[in-house]
Amino acid sequence: MEIELDNVGLVRQIQAGDPGAEAELFRRMAPRIRLYGRHLRDVYAADDLTQQVLITTLEALRAGRLREPEKLASFVLGTCRVIVIELRRTSQRREGLLERFGRDLAPSTPWSVPRLDHDQLERCVQGLKERERTVVIMTFYDEQTGAEVADFLGLSEANVRVIRHRAIHQLRACMGGTA
Amino acid sequence: MRHCSNPIDAAVLADYWLGLLGRLASPDEEAVEEHLFACDLCGDRLREMVALAEGLRELARDGSLRMIVTDGFLKRAAEEGLRVLQYAPPPGGSVQCTVTAEDDILIGRLAANLTGVSRLDLSLCNEAGVERFRLPDIPFDSGTGHVIYQESITFLKAAPTNKMIARLVTVDEAGSEELLGEYTFKHTRSLPGPGAW
Repeated sequence: MEIELDNVGLVRQIQAGDPGAEAELFRRMAPRIRLYGRHLRDVYAADDLTQQVLITTLEALRAGRLREPEKLASFVLGTCRVIVIELRRTSQRREGLLERFGRDLAPSTPWSVPRLDHDQLERCVQGLKERERTVVIMTFYDEQTGAEVADFLGLSEANVRVIRHRAIHQLRACMGGTA
Repeated sequence: MRHCSNPIDAAVLADYWLGLLGRLASPDEEAVEEHLFACDLCGDRLREMVALAEGLRELARDGSLRMIVTDGFLKRAAEEGLRVLQYAPPPGGSVQCTVTAEDDILIGRLAANLTGVSRLDLSLCNEAGVERFRLPDIPFDSGTGHVIYQESITFLKAAPTNKMIARLVTVDEAGSEELLGEYTFKHTRSLPGPGAW
């Protein structure tokens, strides 16, 4: 049985020049970086982020610059934060170009997320209380802020948060997930 | 790490996601990010949450939910290129209506004096006035002077010619009801086929 290396072991193997450990770093960290890349709200920018963060991390590990191997995850996250600031600028430029020329381009690759059973979700949403249903649709479709939803309902933002959380738990449970 | 001894609550993940979209200030953002970078299980849970959010958006675009919506909803639908069909019968009055294959969202705009109303129900009745469906304790903004009701367009596209009566009913703390407004929708089927529920 193969035993999975923890992050400390992984860092040490990479520092020892093990290419298999480098591949494992990519396998382990790429999905997390890509998830973080949602900050950029652009799939191509998220791909760029993943690539740049992994290269930067690998270079740091090979050069022995990560002195506390147990902090590998924090190092990768910190690198993400720094690179996102730069990529945001690039992304803004890209958005400007897309706005001008986007109609001629193919639609972007969708984010990799699981597909839900549409009919089941409809039943679950219809099973919510009226206010819960309105809150989730206002939040996730209308793109209203918490303050705007609260204003419409005549409630405090804290109350809206409670309603939203209750609705999300109920929807997850109804869809077969665990809250 | 596939095991997580302290999984992030789904609602906190939802707030984190909404924070990324700029719609909420998520006070837990840094803590959530730290956790996600060490925990693939919660990463998967976040992906599920994103899928739920996407599913809700698709459902809203379908126009098949019976629910109270806002002007923000209609604005969003219009921005997405959806065809919104609105009918606004006066209180106590009626309106002739139909839906075509090209329509995406069907709206009944119900005008009423909502001042001082604490609880409001929407009762949907057949032409004999018998209640078929009720949305209890609906959300409303008393300042707007109307309730925006979305009828399921999927349902209406399948429906035969018929008459629906919508009633806005106030309910006090003792449970007593009072009619605030009644609105009649005379639906004529214009799609091919006889239509049936």
